[in-house]
Amino acid sequence: MVQYSILDSGFAALSDRTRRGVLEYLGRTDASISDLAARFSMTLTGMKKHVQLLEDVGLVKTRKVGRVRHCSLGARRLERESTWIAGYHEMLEARLDRLGDFLERTKGTS
Amino acid sequence: MMSPSAPPSSALRAAASGDRVLRTERDFNASRERVWRAFTDPEQVVQWWGRGNQLAIERMELERGGHWRFVETAPDGVHGFEGRYREVTPPQRIVLTFDWDGMPGYPIIVTTTLEELGNERTRVITESLFITGADRDQAMHAGMTEGMSQSYAALEELLKKTGRP
Repeated sequence: MVQYSILDSGFAALSDRTRRGVLEYLGRTDASISDLAARFSMTLTGMKKHVQLLEDVGLVKTRKVGRVRHCSLGARRLERESTWIAGYHEMLEARLDRLGDFLERTKGTS
Repeated sequence: MMSPSAPPSSALRAAASGDRVLRTERDFNASRERVWRAFTDPEQVVQWWGRGNQLAIERMELERGGHWRFVETAPDGVHGFEGRYREVTPPQRIVLTFDWDGMPGYPIIVTTTLEELGNERTRVITESLFITGADRDQAMHAGMTEGMSQSYAALEELLKKTGRP
């Protein structure tokens, strides 16, 4: 069964493509914030914010070793299905946004 | 062109009703006929369905049992979506199955309902039913069991007819 409770609080964390990418990547290997920033072509500050958000909801955990902060998947593992549903929802909303734009744009023409 | 700011009427209300249905509702300032055309005329579909990404409509057999396949070219790759139409009732309802190439075996059944609100306004309700792991396995198991017993029954009949080997 799909755990909607996971989606409720984790949804904001998953509503972003970069954050989903980070989760997928950490599913394969641990990484430092600077690794992640480089991988996703972002500033260190930008990536820190994403990681912080994921850490807040328990999807990622971090630990500091010297000057480097290591990231790994948190205790709360997401089922693949839950990730799919969250991604689908985001896609659906974006699609409806575009439909609204389209209907505004073509007003009076059809 | 300026992107129009979202009118208050377009506020999205989304809720998970039950445990496997994702429901969204959104109101548009357009007649139901116009919204229906936006959903069913391929020339209009390509202008919004891809969320700003280039969209190729490979198939769109808009009738019960017909196939559809749309391919989006996004910055992160090419994504194919496809399925079959289960119901097409102009100008109010489309039911289809929705599969993403990247998630094979996880079909969604999507019901899109267009409600007339009057004053050239239309409410679009989508209900997406996720066929989740447990259900899918159960359905598959039930289907296979049934299929197998039918096959065995047919085999038995055949053996009766042909007599002993």
